[in-house]
Parts: sequence; structure tokens; C-alpha cells
Amino acid sequence: MVLEIRNLEKRLGDFALHNISLTIGEGEYFMVLGPTGAGKTVLLETIAGIIKPESGNIFLFGRDITVLPPEERGFSIVYQDFMLFPHLTVFENIAFGLREQRLPFPELRDRVTGISELLGISDLLERAPHTLSGGEQQRAAMARALVMRPRILLLDEPMSALDAASRIRLRQELKRIHRNTGTTVIHITHYFEDLFPLADRLAVMQDGAIVQVGTPEEIFNQPESDFVAHFTGMENIFRGSAVRRGDEVEIDLGPIVLHAVTPLEGDVIAGIRADELILSPEPFDSTARNTFRGTVSEIQANGVFSRVVVDVGVPMCGIITRQSLFRLGLTPGQEITVIFKASAVHVFPA
Amino acid sequence: MRAGYLSTVQAGFFAIALALLAFIFLVLAGMVLYPPFDALVRSLQSEEILFAIGLSLVTSVISTGLCALVAIPVAYSLARGTFPGKRAATILLNVPMALPPLVAGVALLIFFGPSSIGQFLENIGISVVFTPLGIIVALFFVNVPYLIRILRSTFEDINPRFEHVARTLGCSEWRSFRRTTLPLAKRGLFAGLVITWSKCIGEFGAVLILAGATRLKTETLPIALFLNMSTGDIELAIAAAIILIAISIASLLVLEYFAGESRFV
Repeated sequence: MVLEIRNLEKRLGDFALHNISLTIGEGEYFMVLGPTGAGKTVLLETIAGIIKPESGNIFLFGRDITVLPPEERGFSIVYQDFMLFPHLTVFENIAFGLREQRLPFPELRDRVTGISELLGISDLLERAPHTLSGGEQQRAAMARALVMRPRILLLDEPMSALDAASRIRLRQELKRIHRNTGTTVIHITHYFEDLFPLADRLAVMQDGAIVQVGTPEEIFNQPESDFVAHFTGMENIFRGSAVRRGDEVEIDLGPIVLHAVTPLEGDVIAGIRADELILSPEPFDSTARNTFRGTVSEIQANGVFSRVVVDVGVPMCGIITRQSLFRLGLTPGQEITVIFKASAVHVFPA
Repeated sequence: MRAGYLSTVQAGFFAIALALLAFIFLVLAGMVLYPPFDALVRSLQSEEILFAIGLSLVTSVISTGLCALVAIPVAYSLARGTFPGKRAATILLNVPMALPPLVAGVALLIFFGPSSIGQFLENIGISVVFTPLGIIVALFFVNVPYLIRILRSTFEDINPRFEHVARTLGCSEWRSFRRTTLPLAKRGLFAGLVITWSKCIGEFGAVLILAGATRLKTETLPIALFLNMSTGDIELAIAAAIILIAISIASLLVLEYFAGESRFV
């Protein structure tokens, strides 16, 4: 275990970090996911030592570093707006930390050119930062952080200032760098798409607290709260009351009753991912426990996938390919059957 | 109204601007050209004016340096720090700037003269009242708030995250300030020092009260102007005035030049 955070607390004006506890393994790519204002950057700056926590401890390889100043931690940080020093060339930006170590120039130059080659910015070294594109600045900031061979690389939404194409490229880049250097990474994001290609594990943050930790698959498939479900893209969320009937639970939503598999009873929230709904113009028999008739109330075609909202007493949103939309010839007002398995209903305490 | 011609209102405003420019120019040129040229040259080379130039330069440079030494840390802590009483401190720091310089001079005179602190300093051999040291103290007191104000807004415009990054790259608190915020503040710092220095050169009221107006002792350029005007030595007075004008115009030009250059956007 590289880093252990125990019961961290910090108040900053109206905002507070509550009882944060995390462990991060050697070489792990750990992501922190949460909406704006969840406290992700405060957490990252506290790990970096820039913000002092009020209580709680941070351990690095078992040693308590809670009060250690940032310069003695050996962590590098990359902010979303890169923070390249505008009064220095790209070379001097990357060399900044090495200069502080008073590294002899030949070695310093080799380290800077080495990392610049890894990031593909060798021909930008004499430029001023403001002449670089967003993607180039991002690489320069990454080079400045990595050249220090940090024990932990801290990334604060490093992709949010980039366009979609650069983001996809950078994701692959980060993956490659992580594979090549084996650096432990803590990466903050509010983009759900970043998770699957990068994260070994992640923590979901809400209002200054960590609400769930797990692999992306665990978080996606077994969200432990409706917040996580919503945030990870669960489109259909309903309140109801659950009653046990043998192996199953029936959740009464009022207009309809869902069948689900859960240990919970009483007031619950039920979530169903849009891509787990099967839509059929004809009613048909299947092993799926939930079958409802309804009318198509809305069709939103965007790109390859279309969202279809069906009113089955409650609105249910499904996602189908454009091909299927054409094949089925769906139109608003049409009668249709919605089918999903009991196991597709994710149940959280209300 | 055809394009390319000024409207009546524009023409009127333009005429007022032109008249103002002519007024400023004639006032200044009239003074410079008033004394006979050779008398003016002689005055500029007189012992008294040369002394005043020397004293003004020395006291203004030392005061500006002291202002910088104090204003940089104070402005930085006001820009970055959060501490109780910050608002009150800000207001108090602005008081010397809002005071008429004569009032500041009287307050300083009492502080360094009859007060027990003044007596104590006098006893250990530091005399401020009616000495060149008094000039430096007066200049510092009235001008340091300006420099703090300028530097504070300069520091506030610099993202604290530059220092955060520098810290994680191995810099101590002081080194990260020294290597990021300070060089990034270079333009504001330079502009602030030029303004402070040129205000020091021109300061009269506070210096008059605290340092007195002793010929060839505490005689800065404005004091020389004042003394010679009151004794009717018009050429000497105008010689001092011309040097003051030249210094003002030169600092304006320097400021214009550096304001136009925007290296750090």
C-alpha cells in the first residue's frame, strides 16, 4: 500500500471534507469521480500537502506525512489549467524541479529531453507556454510532473480544458505513461467516460464525502446509492416500497410493480439502466420478470443511439441503435412492450 | 452629415481637448522660457541646485528601496492571507495616503520629536527631526501605502497555484515565492517602484514639516523651489522646477513604455 488516508476532515468556508478514508496500492491508477463542488480538488490538494487537514492522517508507505510540507512528499500535481510558468520556456518549466535539486546540467538536460521524447514534445522545448495548444500545454505540464519521478502523480481534471479529440488521445497517452512508468496515479475527473479505459479502482465523491469505492465494474453494476446510480448514468430511477415475495421482491411504484432481487425491504429507490431495457412492438413471453405495455412518448435520435421514452404508467427510458429504430419503425404514440430482468433492477435504500 | 466629418458634438469636444492641451503646454513652456537662458543654465549648475538634485536622488532612492522591502511582504500577505482584522488593517494602511501630507508631517514631527519614542531615539543618537534622515522617513511614510496597493493588486492577479505547483516540485515556501510569484509580479513591481520613486522626488509637505527647509541641509528639489520662490530667486526656483518636470515626464514615458509591453497575458 502506497498511500493511506484515515478519517480526514477539513472545513473551508461553507465547504467541508467529511471523514475521508482511502487506501491506494502501489502502481495503482486510482480515480476520484464526482460532480463539480464535491470536494475533489480539496482532497487532492490535501494529499499534496498544500491544504492542511484539521484532523485525520495521511500515511505514505506507513509513515505519517500529515504535516509534511509538499516539497518533502515527492508528489507531483497537474492542474486542469496546467499552470505552466509563463515566464519560463517549456524546457525551463520541465527543468523547474530538477533545478531546485541542483542537478548538474548534463544530467538535467538528459532527464528533460528524455521525458519530452516520451511525451512527444521534443521540438517545443524552446517555446513560451502561451504559444502552445491546449494539448501541448497538457503534455508539457505532464512532463514537468513526471520528470520528478514522483511517488504519486496527482491529476486534477487534466483533460477538462481539452477538446473531445485531444481527450481521447490523452486518455490513451495516460494509459501508456502509466504502463511505462508504473507511477501510482490519483486522477480526479467528472467525466464518466474516463473511468473504464484508465481506472483500476475509483472513489465516488458527493458533498465532501466518499460514497463508494470499487472497480469501475463494481461501481457501474452495483451502485450503492441513487446518487452513484444517477451519476454513473442510470437513467431510470424510481421511488417505491419493497415487499418480499419468496426469492423476489416486489417494488410498488404506484402505477406499476417491479420485480427485483434485493435484500432490502420498505422504502427503496429502484434504478434501471437504459441499455438494459428491451423494446418490442409485439408483446412476447420471456424469462424476464418485468414486462410492461406502454406508449412511446418521446424519441430522441442522437448519433448511433436513440433514446426512447415509453410511458408504462411511469416514464421509462431505453436506448436502442438507430438501426433498431428504423427496423421497428417506432413512432410517438405507438403501443409497445418494455421488458427487463429482475436482476436489472438495482435497489438502494431510500 | 457625411461620413468622415465630425459631428457638432464631436467637434465641440475636440475643441475643448485641444484648448486643454494648449493650456498645459503653454503653462509649462512659459515657465521654462521665462528666465533668460544663460541665467537658467547658470542656476542649473549652481551649488544649491546640484546639492538639491543629489539629496533628492539619494533620499528618494533609499525611501523607494525601504518602501519595496516593506511593501512586498505586506502586499503579499494582504493578497494571499486570510487573517482576522484584515479589513481593518487594509483601512489603516490606506490612512497615510488619504491624509494631507502636511498633516502626516505634523504627526511624524510629534512622534519623532517630543514623544517618548522620539526622545528615546534621540538619546541613542538617531535624530529624525530636521535632518536628511527625516526626509527619508517622511517619504517612506506617505508613499509606502501606494506601493502596497499597487503590489497587492499585482499579487492578487497571480494564481496561487503557480506556487502550489512549485512546492510539489521541491521548492520551500520562500523559494516558490521567489521563483514564481515574484518574477511574475515583475511588471507591477517595476511600475510600482517608478511611481513611488517619482512621488518621492516630488513630495513636499511632509518633508517640509518633519525635515524642515534648511538650505544645503534638508534642501530637496521641491524644498529648493519653495525656498528660492520665497526669497525671490526666480531662476533658481525655475531650475528646480525644470528638473522636477523632466523627472516626471521621464517616469511617465518609462511607465507608458512598460504598460504597453504585455509579456505575461
